[in-house]
Amino acid sequence: MLRKEVNELLTQTGPGTPTGDLFRQYWIPAMLAEELPENDAPPVRVKLLSERLVAIRDSEGRYGLIDEFCAHRGVSLWFGRNEESGLRCPYHGWKYDYTGQCIEVPSEPEESGFCAKIKLTGYPLVKIGDVLWTHMGDPDDRPPLPEWEFALVPPEQTFTSKRWQESNWLQAFEGGIDSSHVSWLHSDGLKNDPLFKGAAGNKYNQADKKPFFEVVQAEGGLFIGARRDAEDDQYYWRITPWVMPSFTMVPPRGDHPVHGHFWIPIDDENCWAYSYDYHPVRALTADERQAMKDGHGVHCEYVPGTYRPLRNKDNDYMMDRAAQKRGDTYSGVKGIAMQDASLQESMGPIVDRTKENLVSTDNGIIMARQRLRKAVTALRDDGVTPPGVDPAHHRVRSASILLPREDAFIDTCRDALAATPGVKQTSV
Amino acid sequence: MQRRPTLLDSCARAATAAEARFRVAYPNSLQRASLVIALDDGAETVVRAAAQHDWAGARFLTYVEPVSAVGAGPGGAIVRGEDGSESLLGDELGDADVVVMIATSERSAEAASIIGTASFARGIMTAGCVFGAGDAADSGVVTALRPYASVLVVAADDDYVMEMLTALRA
Ligand code: FES
Ligand SMILES: [Fe+2]
Repeated sequence: MLRKEVNELLTQTGPGTPTGDLFRQYWIPAMLAEELPENDAPPVRVKLLSERLVAIRDSEGRYGLIDEFCAHRGVSLWFGRNEESGLRCPYHGWKYDYTGQCIEVPSEPEESGFCAKIKLTGYPLVKIGDVLWTHMGDPDDRPPLPEWEFALVPPEQTFTSKRWQESNWLQAFEGGIDSSHVSWLHSDGLKNDPLFKGAAGNKYNQADKKPFFEVVQAEGGLFIGARRDAEDDQYYWRITPWVMPSFTMVPPRGDHPVHGHFWIPIDDENCWAYSYDYHPVRALTADERQAMKDGHGVHCEYVPGTYRPLRNKDNDYMMDRAAQKRGDTYSGVKGIAMQDASLQESMGPIVDRTKENLVSTDNGIIMARQRLRKAVTALRDDGVTPPGVDPAHHRVRSASILLPREDAFIDTCRDALAATPGVKQTSV
Repeated sequence: MQRRPTLLDSCARAATAAEARFRVAYPNSLQRASLVIALDDGAETVVRAAAQHDWAGARFLTYVEPVSAVGAGPGGAIVRGEDGSESLLGDELGDADVVVMIATSERSAEAASIIGTASFARGIMTAGCVFGAGDAADSGVVTALRPYASVLVVAADDDYVMEMLTALRA
């Protein structure tokens, strides 16, 4: 159960809201690099943190994220002509550069310098890995660029997709640290999904549906460990990191690529689920990359030409009751990503957390909410920089590992939980 | 954008904000019986502070010592209530839905094993909460509680107890 005020505090991320200010402290994914594939590519509408923007890549390859609407009479610059180092509004020809600075107002004499007085809001857009990142906060307080391992490894080792999720960011993110749902909702994935099946550790998951949990506070957020009995007086641990505000990483399985998510608010009732998949030390195989493109693992199939999942609320996620009955899927919805998204969207756009009945195994979620609330209020009241801004906090990994029963993972696994270039992930 | 056929029994608007308003309003759970037990001196301070607030029936106790008297049964222990009165752990466990053990030091190992064993024997859910200033807790106390807590939380701030108990409707 969460009080109404706290639910509102954490779910509202528009301009001027405390949690909106929190998100504006970070470099966050704004879009996939593939959306702006070449210089002078068509501009792309981007709504982020309840701000309507348009992204451009100009003739010189400079990226920018600017106010979607022309300062003249409010036309959407998505209709603009992206040419000769700027975006020109098709209505009366006003032209803007990649920072949002107006550089031409054709109706006014050039000597008047009028255009210098017109400036659209603009945010930086930086390509790191497959993602274009932005920082929507105070430019004077811009943190160093992000150092997430999935974005820093060579391109052949990584793959990122995104999908539109029709719910608030918080309930989507909470799914990423809700370790106790995996044994139920995704039980079919362990057996069948090409990006999950076959790992030695899977047998422990299948044998024990009631893991014990350990939740440990970390500098950037949390570590959530789930342990199950294993042979020789050991436990099989699966450890999930969360880094503020919304980065999570699923514990690895065998030598499969490692994956995880970033949940980024579009507005208060929609978010982007970014899903990355990478291998720290080797190229993805052609089969792995194809499986990711085909929507296996944490990825999904799309309505052609969009980032909207093919299985979505307009078609009841293509619910297959026969498959549910046979046990091919546990919920009747195909694919891990949409199994999660369908249920999270079914809660309504912003779930009413005053009606919840949480239990002890929900402690990961309880602690994440507390840490978020504290970070939001410390920033609002005292200007304290929140956890997760410092790139040192980005260099984490998930792990799956067999440990002697008396070992505390947080001590024994320090190396396993740190992203070290050239070192393989710790995985069973 | 291509539209998929909507199934006969589906309602694409079901998940809209407008429809969410029609979620039936009523209390969907009965009061829980939560037992919060401090396992050591440091924990007692935390538990006493939490006990000052209004709760939906949670009871706050401190572990005192084991009892081996005939009839105390396995896992017997004496616990002390908020008013200072002492009772048998077994009697307190009676109708509990969850036992939350709070610990700050390795000295809580004996208490954790007695309370955890007694709770498991009765099929009562156990949660452990370990506090240690700043760099949350030495691993000794975590190791001591691990076998006996289905969920073990290592928290840096004492006020996490409040947060957890509120979330659990204690
Ligand atoms: S069983 Fe968890 S939401 Fe229904
Ligand atoms: Fe999931």
